[in-house]
Amino acid sequence: MKLTLPEYTTNTAFDELLDEAQRPRLAARPLFDYLDSLDAQELAARQQAVDATIMAMGITFTIYSEAGNIDRAWPFDPIPRVMARSEWTQIEAGLKQRLRALNLFINDLYNEQRIIQEGVFPAEVLTGSGNFRPQCVGITPRFGVWAHICGTDLVRDRDGTVYVLEDNLRVPSGVSYMLENRQIMKRIFPEVFRSINILPVDDYPAQLYQTLAALSPRPVKHPVIAVLTPGIYNSAYFEHSYLAQQMGAHLVEGSDLVVGEDECVYMNSIAGLARVDVIYRRIDDEFLDPEVFNPASTLGVRGLMRAWRKGNIGIANAPGAGVADDKVVYAFVPQIIRYYLNEEPILANVPSYLCMYDDQREYVLANLDKLVVKPANESGGYGMLIGPRATVEERAQFAELIRANPRNYMAQPTLDISTAPTLVDGELAPRHLDLRPFVLQSDKLFATTGGLTRVALRKGSLVVNSSQGGGSKDTWIVETEVKSC
Amino acid sequence: MLARAAENLYWMARYLERAENTARFINSSTHVLLDLPPGAAFGWANLVEIAGLDSSFHQFYPVANEDAIMRFLIEDTRNPSSIVSCVRYARENTRTLRELLPAEMWERINSLHHYLRDHAHAACDNRRERYQVLNYVIEQRHAIVGLVSGTMAHDIPYQIMRLGRNVERADMTSRMLDLNSAVHLPQDNILHESITERIWMSLLNSLSAYQSYRRLVSMQVRSEAVIQFLLCDERFPRSITYCLAEVTSCLALLPRSQPLQPRVQQLHSQLGCAENLDTANLRDKLEQIQQGLAEFHDALTQHYFRAN
Repeated sequence: MKLTLPEYTTNTAFDELLDEAQRPRLAARPLFDYLDSLDAQELAARQQAVDATIMAMGITFTIYSEAGNIDRAWPFDPIPRVMARSEWTQIEAGLKQRLRALNLFINDLYNEQRIIQEGVFPAEVLTGSGNFRPQCVGITPRFGVWAHICGTDLVRDRDGTVYVLEDNLRVPSGVSYMLENRQIMKRIFPEVFRSINILPVDDYPAQLYQTLAALSPRPVKHPVIAVLTPGIYNSAYFEHSYLAQQMGAHLVEGSDLVVGEDECVYMNSIAGLARVDVIYRRIDDEFLDPEVFNPASTLGVRGLMRAWRKGNIGIANAPGAGVADDKVVYAFVPQIIRYYLNEEPILANVPSYLCMYDDQREYVLANLDKLVVKPANESGGYGMLIGPRATVEERAQFAELIRANPRNYMAQPTLDISTAPTLVDGELAPRHLDLRPFVLQSDKLFATTGGLTRVALRKGSLVVNSSQGGGSKDTWIVETEVKSC
Repeated sequence: MLARAAENLYWMARYLERAENTARFINSSTHVLLDLPPGAAFGWANLVEIAGLDSSFHQFYPVANEDAIMRFLIEDTRNPSSIVSCVRYARENTRTLRELLPAEMWERINSLHHYLRDHAHAACDNRRERYQVLNYVIEQRHAIVGLVSGTMAHDIPYQIMRLGRNVERADMTSRMLDLNSAVHLPQDNILHESITERIWMSLLNSLSAYQSYRRLVSMQVRSEAVIQFLLCDERFPRSITYCLAEVTSCLALLPRSQPLQPRVQQLHSQLGCAENLDTANLRDKLEQIQQGLAEFHDALTQHYFRAN
């Protein structure tokens, strides 16, 4: 196993597995010992086996621009990303702290708005929010929790600090790939799991089930849970069916559900109408209920919001939870944590400039060549400007967009996000990556062990989204401390 | 169980059964073909007619010869009942049903789909390859049925699959029984009887029924006895009587199935197994059975999948 040295010697980013002298970090040493035992031929054979496994397991994703092709094989890199348990424990505490605070924040916004009255959070940010749903005002869902499932994107900068890049509180996806990545690794590299103490990840479906079951309006032992999908052509359909299967839930589309005169939700079953207790919805707010939101929606269920308000159905994430999934709101999360929890944030936020404030906007406009500018309500890496890589014209166009709608934009310094060795043409080359752990909250809090590592497979690229040339790796949280006898 | 999921499951089972039976159907006709004496001819056009696909075939192919028919039945995706189409539809349905099926099921169907993508074309081109590929399809289909019956809970989703499988199987057995009519023997052929016997043997073989027939009925292969066996035998799992009994037992395990049960009884009496079987108008009887199965399918669809 050879490192691609020219690429590694010029790599200025922090590498997850190798230190400055290109020696394996402590947590990664057993992995490299193992890799050293494989010759190039063996590794190539394993790589082929990985491809064949992905094909056979039918792990796929959909790219909307490729009409008709609904199953592209999932791009997977067999070299795992390794993190020491001691570091992960800190991160996990930070993730749970963050979600707890965000849920208190959302519930406050839809009720008393104390945080605004006390001047910690500006009213104009809320006014300009595209994801605030007036239809949800006055509601307190069970446990006061709105975002039951959160996918938090983390990156590491050159100095080794881990930053939260964004909190995905609407319909975050990717967890099924995290689970499948581990399955692939176990099939193709079974011996490594004997020699290295890698923490398991497969309790997620059970935890998700419990998180959802806790929302059931009926106090039954096995509440009826349905995963609501937009259908087979959605890019995350694979994940919807995967999670339904893993949880023993029904995979339903809007047309399978009806709200009865008793304002309960039912599904069309072969035995007639059957009551549904909890909906894990994988469609956006706007499409949930044509009676309240987009009237043209055929994906949702007429009357669903009435049923929810009456407490006759649990919905995760709650409609309106996306109000905190906004890149401008993001900038306030450290204050939000301090305000509600009276604690210092454990995880760092990337320093952010809000274009709604005159001084910060002027700074952003003057430094567009150094900054990354993001629209408040987009996801998937769309609509961004990466200043240092943009042309003069692109920057000028963006400056216009910012001036026209300052509330919609925020900017951050370009981070030199970390790399990890990735198999490229039979050698290991540094490729940039991020980490998306998934955090659950209802009556309890839970975080995945590690998460989904997404890697930009193109040399030098910082874009890890699978729709834009990204792949993924298995994520190992490993025990490094040796217990003394 | 969700009505939409039940319909997909029912069709998935039908598609898989159809893929297997189409493979058997083709194997059978290829065998018959090899046994034909000089002067006898095989009516290729009759073959698609027996399969109930003649109008769609003639829409795409000007001449009914072996090459065209093999393409049409094996790999042509314009034919919704070709083997490639059946497996593809079964796969698409499975994709929407993963939450109901054993996890390995998807992988099985998925790899069968990939296998056909790589081999279906060769199976159309030469007979040796065809035999191998079609047998592989049959084997994989058995592996899937084994997986389902051995690892899936035998509750409602399982019964729905069993229902689809047996409705489809009864239909296909009735079509295969008609295969004899595709062979045109010279009028004065003194070998007439022995040829007919050999055709029936090929047919039994292709249904994996020859051994059971010998054990349960007779060492002698005679038209009436074979017809009786495939229509009325209560022990052989591909006979129409057996399939209908399976359908009845599935219905007994499904909710609110009472309105459908008399229809199966009616189909059963249509077979005429209780009386002395009249094999003279076989063609008419087979068509009647196919019609009856189609009506049962429609009633089932209305009752369970379209109700609310």
